[in-house]
Parts: sequence; structure tokens; C-alpha cells
Amino acid sequence: MESEYRIPTVPVVTARFEHYVQNDSRNHGMFLRYVFPPHPVGFIPKEKLRGYVDGLNPVSGKPLMPEMVEALTKPLTEEEKNPVIEKRPKHPRLLPPDTEENLHRLFLENGWTDGLPIVLPTEERVAEMLTGTDRDPQEVVGRMSVTTHQERLEYTVEKVAVIAVMAGCRPEHLPVLLAIASTEIPAFPSSTTSFSSMIMVNGPIRHEIGMNCGLAALSPFNYANAVIGRAWTLMSINFGDARPGDTFMHSLGHPINYNNLCHAENEEDSAFEPYHVEKGFKPEESTVTLFRGWNYNGINLGPAKAMAEALKRQSSMGRAGTFLMDPLVSAHLKDEGFKTKEELRQYIANEAETFPQMINFIVVGGQTNPMWVLTDYTPSITVSIDKWIPKTGIKKDEKPLRMPQPVLCKDGICGI
Amino acid sequence: MSKNLITVLDPRGQPSGIFGKVLDLSNPMAILDPEKQPTTTLESMTGQKMADRLDTLEGKTVYLVETGFAGAADFMKEVQGWFQRNMPSVKTVLRSKRGNMFTDDPELWQEIKENGDAAIVGVGG
Repeated sequence: MESEYRIPTVPVVTARFEHYVQNDSRNHGMFLRYVFPPHPVGFIPKEKLRGYVDGLNPVSGKPLMPEMVEALTKPLTEEEKNPVIEKRPKHPRLLPPDTEENLHRLFLENGWTDGLPIVLPTEERVAEMLTGTDRDPQEVVGRMSVTTHQERLEYTVEKVAVIAVMAGCRPEHLPVLLAIASTEIPAFPSSTTSFSSMIMVNGPIRHEIGMNCGLAALSPFNYANAVIGRAWTLMSINFGDARPGDTFMHSLGHPINYNNLCHAENEEDSAFEPYHVEKGFKPEESTVTLFRGWNYNGINLGPAKAMAEALKRQSSMGRAGTFLMDPLVSAHLKDEGFKTKEELRQYIANEAETFPQMINFIVVGGQTNPMWVLTDYTPSITVSIDKWIPKTGIKKDEKPLRMPQPVLCKDGICGI
Repeated sequence: MSKNLITVLDPRGQPSGIFGKVLDLSNPMAILDPEKQPTTTLESMTGQKMADRLDTLEGKTVYLVETGFAGAADFMKEVQGWFQRNMPSVKTVLRSKRGNMFTDDPELWQEIKENGDAAIVGVGG
């Protein structure tokens, strides 16, 4: 409005966001004349709002409305007339040498971790991690920001490898991380509403790197699921520049932000076609799909009608959602007469009075209970992992690290 | 822990000179689509200038634009009430921005340019 339309403007933002918008203004090269009423202005009585308007700007200490009038009438300063955009310098590739103890402290105190212990990204470890792909370490993979408007930070294959080391990954996980990084999507954008995200992997890579799509797939009993999910969080912090109260404004935060519900789809036990095939990929392709939303609502049992009713009750993203269903549920739904996910989608959309394209299904779990979970996640993107895999195939350790496999019924006695 | 000095890589992404930009109104749901997030560059932002200020608001038209955040519409009504009580010669026009709080509304900006003198836009937060 100021620059393009030449309209003198006062942006009004509550005082809680002073630092956030002042930074934004600096990033964009105009020192806009913000005025800050107290926070919040939503869901409070009108009498209190009038008090805000008649009262002071808590940031400047000046009467609020006269400050607005002044912001529209006081001549521009030289600094305002000729703003200088601050170009931020690049960080050196290496941090100054220090002891292991001090470096752990540095990473933690600088906010470069998720609060849990990390593996320090030494040159040797990063070089080993880079054996997980054929790509040039200095190839730019993407740019990311957890905010809508601030500067996006650029990252290379090597930077993704640094994050992989920190998260505790092995080179076999790197192609999945590069695919995730290539989407440029942070796991938690800076909305005060506290978003969360979900990672779901399809295709042969699930088994090659030992991901869990079966029993307890969403619980902390699988190495690959754990470190891949964590790595996306560390990318979002370090590439997305997430700094609480500065660029990151989740009011409550979200526990799913730690691991992003990282899992694989149980394609083998599903009665339906895999998610990535629905989206046009070949069954033999490996893909990763990223979802975004807020809520993971269990426990649910029952037929398609119950699924439609649950979706109808869901309010956070309208009537959009992704169902995570145990393979037993997919079999029951097939018995109900739904031959494909598409038929099920059409039925639920009609019953819930919504659009079919707003409904998605993932089959995951170990067939101990015919449960389904309704999330309000919507898919952001599905991307191929294959182009990040070395020509010689996934780089595995001689003896790959694996947690104990779930104990499964092998003799048929349990009825599975 | 070992007291030997070790060298590690900096995990942070590098400044790119590429920034996000407000969404086009033609697709308000684009906020959910990572491939539809518009960007701008440091270079293209260079040379942006704030508009010249008015000598006075007396007798002028000020648009009060509510952004869609909770409480914004009620806040702007109170701002309008303040002008009516304290600066009655100022004509105020209350408007709601179309789309949602993340989208652009160039039609409204054009209307303000043609029919107004200044704008107060909010409330963010």
C-alpha cells in the first residue's frame, strides 16, 4: 500500500507481536509506522476495546490514537525516505573448534536443537553421511522459512547431511531427508494456532531402511521412523529459522512437532491401493508425503458411516481430514462393499456433506485392533525419493542398525 | 567428555535474499499449498518507498481496514468511534479485507487510492 499505491498507512498489530513485525519490516526494507494496542484484541468485551483505543500504546507509552494520527501526518524521516535493506552475511561452514562439551552447550543454547541430545556434526561424520547420496554436497536443495514473509534460508545437500547427523541418522536415511528438504516445507509454520505435521513414506524404501508400517508404527519403537521424523524438526529449526517469540509464535506448541508422526504405509496388509499409487506414482517408486494440520483424534471404531459422522463433527479445517486406519479396518470396509478408496471417499463426502478431494486414507498398523484415527491433516505434497538414492542403491551399513521387530503371530493361533 | 578440540559444521541455513510475499486473492486456500507460496527478492524490494504523509487528517477520508483476525472488526469500530468523538471532520470508511488475513486485496487498495487519503489496517495478532 505504501510503496505501490502511495497510500499513507498505519499497520496496527497487538503489542505481543512487536518484535516479530519490526523484524519483518526491517527484512522488507521499509520502516513502517506500526502502532501497537495491548494484546489480545480478540474475544474481549467492547468496553475493554474502547479502553485500548482511548488508552496508551504499551510499546511506546504514548496515547494510541494520537500516535496513529501522527503516523499519518508527521513527515517522513531521512531513514524512512531512503531505507537500507540489511543483507545478512553467510555463516562460515565450520564453527570455531571447541571441546565436545562446549559444542553441545553451544548447539543447545543457540536453539539449534529440539532440546534432546544430538550427535555433533563433525566433518568426518558429515562426510560419511554424504555417502548416502550421489549428489554434489554443495548442490542447493531448497529454501525454507517457518514464517510467511521473512527471509528463506538456503540449504545444500551437505547442510541436510549435517542435520541428519545431528538427528542420529545413518546414510541409508539421507535420501528420505533430501526428498523432504526438497519440498521446502517446514514441519511447523509460525501460526499462533500451533500447527503439527505428519510424514508418511511409501514404496520399497520403507523396508530397505527398516521403517515400521505395522504394529506400533507411530510409537517410539523404530529407529528409522524416529530419526527421520526428528530430522524434519531439526531442519525446520535450522533451515526454517524457528526462534520462539521471534519467528515462531505457536501459543501452546504441539508435542507432535518432536517427531511429526513419521511412519510408513502398510501397503502389504492393506485392502486398498497404496497412497502414492493413488497419487499417480508407480508401486515400485518410493515417495514421501507431508501432511499438515493440528489434531490426531483417536480412538474410533466402526463402519464407514461412523467415519463420515466423525468427519462431520470435525471443525478445525472444515470437513477435511485424513483417516489413519488399521489394515483390519480396510478389510472390513471392503466387506462393507467399498472396493476402492475412491468409492469410500465418495460415500464419506456425501454423508459428511463435503468435497471428496478433502478426504484421504492411510493404512497403517499391526492388526491387533480394528481402529481408525481421524486427523485434520491435509496433504501438502508427495515427492519421489528415488532421485536422491545413489545409483548403486541405498547405502547400508554392513550390519544395519535396527530396533527389535514387533513380535507377530506366525502360527495363525491368534487369528491374524 | 573429552577435552580435545573438535570441529563441527554450522547447521543453520544461509541467507538467500529470497523472501515470502502476501498471497494472491485468487486462491485464498493457497496458504495450504507450498507450491503456490509467492516469493520476492532482496533486489526487487530495493527502492521501495513509503508514501508521503498528509499535512493534516482534518477533512480527509481514512479507510479503516479490518484484516480478519479475531477482534479486528470490533477494534476498527472503536477506532471509528474515536474519530467521530475527537476528529469529526475526518471521514472514516470501515471495510473488511476480502479473502483471509494472509491474502492480498489489490481491488481494495485501488479503491482506497482513488477515494481515500490514508488507511489504518489491522489488527494483526
